[in-house]
Amino acid sequence: MVTTDGAPSRRAFLSGAGAALAGVGAVALGGCGSAGKAADAPGDAPQPLSPAVAHDDVAILTRALDLERRTVTAYVAAIPLLPRPEAHAANQFLADELEHAGQLIGLIRAAGGIGPPRADSYPFANPPTTPAQVLALLHSLESQQIGLYLRAIPRLAPGPIRAAVSSILTVDAEHVTLLRLQQGQTPVPGPFVTGSE
Amino acid sequence: MSAHRTRRELLAAGARLAPLTPAGAGAAALIFPAAAQAVRAPHIQKFPMPVFDETDRLQRLIRLELLLLYCYRQVLGAGILNHGAQVALATFPAHEEAHVNALERRLRARGGAVPPGPVSHAQANRYLAHRGVGGRLGQLKGPLDAVRLLLTLEQVTIGAYNMALTGVQDTDLVELICQIMANEAQHDAMLGMQLPPFKPASAAPYGLVSGLQ
Repeated sequence: MVTTDGAPSRRAFLSGAGAALAGVGAVALGGCGSAGKAADAPGDAPQPLSPAVAHDDVAILTRALDLERRTVTAYVAAIPLLPRPEAHAANQFLADELEHAGQLIGLIRAAGGIGPPRADSYPFANPPTTPAQVLALLHSLESQQIGLYLRAIPRLAPGPIRAAVSSILTVDAEHVTLLRLQQGQTPVPGPFVTGSE
Repeated sequence: MSAHRTRRELLAAGARLAPLTPAGAGAAALIFPAAAQAVRAPHIQKFPMPVFDETDRLQRLIRLELLLLYCYRQVLGAGILNHGAQVALATFPAHEEAHVNALERRLRARGGAVPPGPVSHAQANRYLAHRGVGGRLGQLKGPLDAVRLLLTLEQVTIGAYNMALTGVQDTDLVELICQIMANEAQHDAMLGMQLPPFKPASAAPYGLVSGLQ
């Protein structure tokens, strides 16, 4: 999930996950890694969308999927570093991110595309070691996702696809609000969500 | 297409979509574990969509925002909320006002007339009833009742924006709708924090949020 060939701090980040990763990691792997395999399962293919998603849309959705998987990786590695109340919320957010990845894989498959495999690793430049750093990292990743969706949704051609992807955007916006709350920041800083919050 | 007929179509469509909407009684996100959800078919509305032009959509969204603004002002002004909720929601009316202003600019640019908002409790309550929102201004039985009314209305608003995204073509307007819709979802989360068990995980319990439609 996370590269292990990095600096000692990254190793510490990973080892901090410890046994708790086993359970959550299994869920993450089930949600992400096995998703591609499930795409090939007979009888499990979703009906093609109508109107069809354009090639450009598949590229946009694929980029979003990559970012979602990166965020999932961060949650899995980071949750054991959080105190219990924050970890409880983060577990919920992780489940949401897995659902987002599944949603995007479904959209890509429905468009006739193939969900790309997960990367072998998702390196983080400065792996967090404290709860505050963990929350800051998760906040940053959620904001990046929001920024991507705000740029991507207007470029998606069929309206129903825009609406489907926007149902992910709304949840990421909720995550940012609650992460800001946990960080002691103003939870809803303005009337328009821009991804820079 | 008359407004009356259109609302009926929207409600009928919403009923069909209910099992897939987060606030619906059979919310899939509550029932299925995330890992199982991860390979489910995409959440896409497949019912026939009523046809609106963008002017019509903007007017509908502004009406809803004005109702939301009115309700926030009345609830906050009534002092019915506890102190924590009063502080948490204090800036939300200003947010709704900013949404109205932004939408009005887009509407005027299209030559559309800006619709009026509710001017009395009675009128606002009629609009709430028409949208299927439980709770009535002036009859709220405490802070939780007030928060639930605002929460439901926020979810109806999110649903209206989600629905609008299926038909709007102007990419600038699509972006604005996304920015506002996401902000309403943030309000939704903060309102959820004011309800038991007052925890983040229960304030954002769904993996996909498309509102009440």
